[in-house]
Amino acid sequence: MEMAINSSPKDLYLLQSETAGSHLTQDQETKNSMATLVTSSSSLVFSSHSSKLYSPSLSPLPRLSLSLFSQSLSSSLSISPSFLAQNPTVSRKSVSVSAFTVKASATGKKKVLIVNTNSGGHAVIGFYFAKELLGSGHEVTIFTVGEESSDKMKKPPFNRFSEIVSAGGATVWGDPADIGKVLEGKEFDVVLDNNGKDLDAVRPVADWAKSSGAKQFLFISSAGIYKPTDEPPHVEGELVKADAGHVGVEKYISEIFEIWSAFRPQYMIGSGNNKDCEEWFFDRIVRGRPVPIPGSGMQLTNIAHVRDLSSMLTLAVENPAAAGGNIFNCVSDRAVTLNGMAKLCAQAAGLPVEIVNYDPKAVGVDAKKAFPFRNMHFYAEPQAAKEILGWSGTTNLPEDLKERFNEYVKIGRDKKEIKFELDDKILESLKVPVAV
Amino acid sequence: MASLVVVQHKQPSSAVLPSSFSDFNGARLTASVQYKRKLWQPKGALHVTASSAKKILIMGGTRFIGVFLSRLLVKEGHQVTLFTRGKAPITQQLPGESEADFADFSSKILHLKGDRKDFEFVKSSLSAEGFDVVYDINGREALEVEPILDALPSLEQYIYCSSAGVYLKTDYLPHFEVDAVDPKSRHKGKLETESLLESRGVNYTSLRPVYIYGPLNYNPVEEWFFHRLKAGRPIPIPNSGIQVTQLGHVKDLARAFVQVLGNEKASKQIFNISGEKYVTFDGLAKACAKAAGFPEPEIIHFNPKEFDFGKKKPFPFRDQHFFTSIEKAKSLLGWKPEFDLVEGLADSYNLDFGRGTFRKEADFETDDIILGKSLVLQS
Repeated sequence: MEMAINSSPKDLYLLQSETAGSHLTQDQETKNSMATLVTSSSSLVFSSHSSKLYSPSLSPLPRLSLSLFSQSLSSSLSISPSFLAQNPTVSRKSVSVSAFTVKASATGKKKVLIVNTNSGGHAVIGFYFAKELLGSGHEVTIFTVGEESSDKMKKPPFNRFSEIVSAGGATVWGDPADIGKVLEGKEFDVVLDNNGKDLDAVRPVADWAKSSGAKQFLFISSAGIYKPTDEPPHVEGELVKADAGHVGVEKYISEIFEIWSAFRPQYMIGSGNNKDCEEWFFDRIVRGRPVPIPGSGMQLTNIAHVRDLSSMLTLAVENPAAAGGNIFNCVSDRAVTLNGMAKLCAQAAGLPVEIVNYDPKAVGVDAKKAFPFRNMHFYAEPQAAKEILGWSGTTNLPEDLKERFNEYVKIGRDKKEIKFELDDKILESLKVPVAV
Repeated sequence: MASLVVVQHKQPSSAVLPSSFSDFNGARLTASVQYKRKLWQPKGALHVTASSAKKILIMGGTRFIGVFLSRLLVKEGHQVTLFTRGKAPITQQLPGESEADFADFSSKILHLKGDRKDFEFVKSSLSAEGFDVVYDINGREALEVEPILDALPSLEQYIYCSSAGVYLKTDYLPHFEVDAVDPKSRHKGKLETESLLESRGVNYTSLRPVYIYGPLNYNPVEEWFFHRLKAGRPIPIPNSGIQVTQLGHVKDLARAFVQVLGNEKASKQIFNISGEKYVTFDGLAKACAKAAGFPEPEIIHFNPKEFDFGKKKPFPFRDQHFFTSIEKAKSLLGWKPEFDLVEGLADSYNLDFGRGTFRKEADFETDDIILGKSLVLQS
């Protein structure tokens, strides 16, 4: 089904060289104004649930209301000629959107391809997403980069891929540059690239997806591309670093796909994670070691449970009309300070914690090597997902970290021999008296 | 015993101020600042404005928030009475307000003179008048609210100006309306008032602003920075300067107060109301400079523990992260702030401090204590 979207993809990016007169481009504003209508009309439909729809992570939203909301979303997009009359600039776009939506809500099940990285913090996203899609009745193939027999596949989440297979998903391995050969003859409705960090890596996947008839393309980008700001949080549409690889990908897919979305995550926790997150804190807390945190410890970051990222992606698959043409910060709806994260981990473990804040320069360490989170405010909010997809977060760090700690102990990591060389260097140097 | 006197206030003979700057209707000051939208109507909201004129009582209304709120309500055609002791002038022409607008407002606004702590008077005067809606802008204690509720059994809505200061301090932000509150906070009177309203079953709406700013601000928020920028002094900021706070323009708050009037989505609801983006302390200093046309300031970070400031506060903000999510108000009410930070600070500067008006004289005593020690360390 063709959709006449005439947006100029370049407008969606406020880059370093452009002057930003307004935080939002015309196109983004259009989307937001559409989104606002959708949100308020949906809350009218479910007036008895209205207070529940806006409960944040500490009062987790039952999944049922989430899907109810998304159904109302697709139906409410087709209403309101009066809205169009008030906002003539959106009329063309919303007419085509509503026409599409009437059909989309009838199609239901999708064939989804996930191209997944074989390592790093994002690997777990594809795992959760695959399982959620399969649970919702969609068909899923997960294409992991590299070889099935490689050592990387012995680590989580890959060593749990049997869960995908037993749920009815297909797993393949290969080089994304050869995707056409690996998946010859296969067709998908939706392709997610959860692998590439630049156009070199993603282009073959995007081009093949396009030529093989996929209508919707999703890309896992990164909230790291936002330019630092004095005014947190990062919201979609704000300045990004023009030379970031992910930015090049976002632009490219916006040019070749009618229905494209980019998701910008930060950090995540969850069983099956390929990269340490909360474990870094647990390692020190269970061994009674001080937790060295660079700077004041007041830096804000965003740590989401990966199920929130998965639910956002699923909503995009199930609401392509709403999701199409949009960027989504793929994060939880709260920030936590670095010191706060240490405290929450300690509380989850039921143990005390000694936090030692230090100046990396004074101590002579590279904070990037000594500490797993950015030594600055790094805080995006999931505004677009809430307004456009009706998504809501369920991450509840105090509760989620308890579950994480239980697994940490269950797998015996608390007993593991770990060297803390950089920690020792930091703590050593802090004992040295500072020359005045 | 004060007698009930409702006065229709006459236009005072104050000097006419040039109204070349923005009027209150959200029009922008300078050509370079982009219009976000020109209409009053919130984008896309399906909220139906109450069509009938209400008889509205504002507790307070002559100092800051109420000054802007009362004008909006009068413009919408409601009958508005201000309950004040009469210490401040009942009406004052706003900087940038046209003669005609001010005359119109002055001719319509009513005054009920009294002390809200005189509960008997409050009860008798209010029940004699009968009001449809009460905006309680200056209430601090639950006790002060009871006589109002007692006097008006048919009250349609009680709209309360609470405070985000009720939230319990946390490392896990922003504050949402459902988050834990601190029963020991400085603002516990606000909490107790909210509980009273809830328990009395009255149709109430409570708004929780964070730091309010804008022309006529009597709290030294932006004024504190402007004094230092004007004097060419460095800005002393405690600790790291990356503490994140949130400012909300008084005009956006006033609009939110109007948005909840007669709005069933606001019934028995609490809303955080503030700016769309948050800001670090360092960032705020820079934003004030940018808004007022000063060069980027020198910022000096200091450790408050190293000094004894006596009773004075060296910095006007809480030394912690303090910001709220305004999502609930945005999605349920269709309200959203019109001013971003620099625009809003410019509005405040151009209509107030920049014209030579301010509430508190500059006081650099604590700055000099800090700077004195810094100079000693450097030498």
